[in-house]
Amino acid sequence: MRKILLASSTAFLLCLSSAQAQERKLVISVYGFAQDAFKTILYDPFEAKCGCKVVVETGNSVERLAKLEANKNAPVIDMAVVATPDALAASRANLIEPIDVSKLTNYDKLYDVAKDPIGGHLSVGYTFYATSIVYRSDKVTINSWNDLFSKELAGRVAFPNVTTNQGPPTLYMIGKAMGQNTPDLKAPIEKVAEHKDDFVTFYVRSSQLTQLMQQDEIWAAPIGRFAWEGFAKMNLPIKWATPKEGQTGGMNVMILTKGAKNKELAYQFMDFWLSTEIQTKLAEKLIDSPANKEVKLDPKIADNLTYGEETAKSLDLQPADAILDNRESWISQWNAKVGQ
Amino acid sequence: MFQSRAESLALVLPAMLFAAVIFIAPVLILLSEGLRPAGSWSLTYYISFFTTPLNLTVFLRTLKLGALVTVSAAVIGYAAALCIVNLSPKGRGQMVGLIVLPLMISPVARTYAWIVILGRTGIVNQALGALGLTDAPLRILFSETAIFIGLLQLFLPLMIISLVSALENMPRDAISAARVLGANWLQVFWKVILPLTKEGLVIGGTLVFTGSLTAYITPAILGGSKVLMLETLLYQRVTIANDFASASVIAMILIVMSFSANLLLKRLATARAKR
Repeated sequence: MRKILLASSTAFLLCLSSAQAQERKLVISVYGFAQDAFKTILYDPFEAKCGCKVVVETGNSVERLAKLEANKNAPVIDMAVVATPDALAASRANLIEPIDVSKLTNYDKLYDVAKDPIGGHLSVGYTFYATSIVYRSDKVTINSWNDLFSKELAGRVAFPNVTTNQGPPTLYMIGKAMGQNTPDLKAPIEKVAEHKDDFVTFYVRSSQLTQLMQQDEIWAAPIGRFAWEGFAKMNLPIKWATPKEGQTGGMNVMILTKGAKNKELAYQFMDFWLSTEIQTKLAEKLIDSPANKEVKLDPKIADNLTYGEETAKSLDLQPADAILDNRESWISQWNAKVGQ
Repeated sequence: MFQSRAESLALVLPAMLFAAVIFIAPVLILLSEGLRPAGSWSLTYYISFFTTPLNLTVFLRTLKLGALVTVSAAVIGYAAALCIVNLSPKGRGQMVGLIVLPLMISPVARTYAWIVILGRTGIVNQALGALGLTDAPLRILFSETAIFIGLLQLFLPLMIISLVSALENMPRDAISAARVLGANWLQVFWKVILPLTKEGLVIGGTLVFTGSLTAYITPAILGGSKVLMLETLLYQRVTIANDFASASVIAMILIVMSFSANLLLKRLATARAKR
């Protein structure tokens, strides 16, 4: 009896392992948001196309980078999407390798800003967003990043905390408006500290802001364009500022793990994601603004995204190395001067 | 109950192993991060934590708010619990049900409700304005006051429930006896009710204090980063700075604070009993 059991289980295991060997598998590491939509728009069609299985790992950037680092010697993840400073961090930790852009047929369709965001072809941008100020146009007018400190807005502004993705870009633009644009952000942080009692809060989640705006608690807040839809829907006169110093923003990029097991699949997947078809579908669902300049959108949809050649060109993005090298010092300066 | 000590040990072994492997070991590994930053044992992270002014401010604020919430919960809790135990069994059940009800609502939803209530145009400011107590709306949101209110509302039910069950176990005629013997209400409370319900106070106090120390959502939403607490600082260390060593120092401090609070409350309770 025991022998039969053993034999049958061995046979079963053998079948299982040969089945596994036949199935090709791509492991990707992505942000946890909108995964249902990503599945229908991106993962399922890709699986059908390549005849392979897409294994998705999600989490915030820190967790996912930590995992890449932990599996450095035997990479599990083939490709990942992260924000530019995290891509640079991964490159400095020797976790990623340059992307051979000749293998990406859709590469030339990308906006210039997305082609090589951190240099060395270590990443390819697949989406970006503008950061500017939303404000109640019946109460104030905003023409400059300096207007966040105006008398009319005292006690009516929610400012992004330095730990959020919008914090440093906002400080960066304030520095630019002050004419003191050093990577250490010393001048803008001091200015915020001087006015810290005039800010309603230093927000951590932009989802909180619509409620504060609705309640008349705030009249203005610097936000990323991806959060604009919630404000646009409100029954209030709300505008997106175009400050004279320009708008800033951020970009998410694709990276290729060093020593990835399924490199060819990873290339196919990246190319598929960057294609006009997929980028259009993701944009139409308001998930990611397109980095592919061939994407054509209905104005109503475009209004909720960061869209178009002009916008892409006008974005004054904070350099990834400045973010990575200074992030710690910004947080400690901020905590010491603003956070108490 | 069991034939031998070995038998009972064998029965408890699986549970002990489970706890050791799944809970105690990971906690120890996590906590050791703060003590062995570069592979060798050192107190560097602890020293640097307590020598940074911001951390001290945050530590003292957390301690202060935790203590304030616990004391307030005890005062309000005794009043509420005394009323409840004097109700008919049916009324008592209904009241306890009402008190437990908020515990079944997600703390996120409850905390968001406070943003509406405490806001510039919220009911608190409207009432204050209508009564002529304030000229302009007060800014309560994103302050220590807001966190205090939020935490108190969050954890008060735990204190009330602990005190109700303690009061229910108290001999019904103890209060009447004390009154007959000439004690005033303050003496009754101090010399009769408090000693007889100290177990409930210790349990309730520990739950409220530990809860206040470790609650993350309430300080994050009602205080924001303007009013950092240890738990929001811990979150910042891990998710932003990827600094697990400092985070483990904060975790250790929170654990020590919780245990000390429990020991202190127990000590206070036994000290009173001996007198």
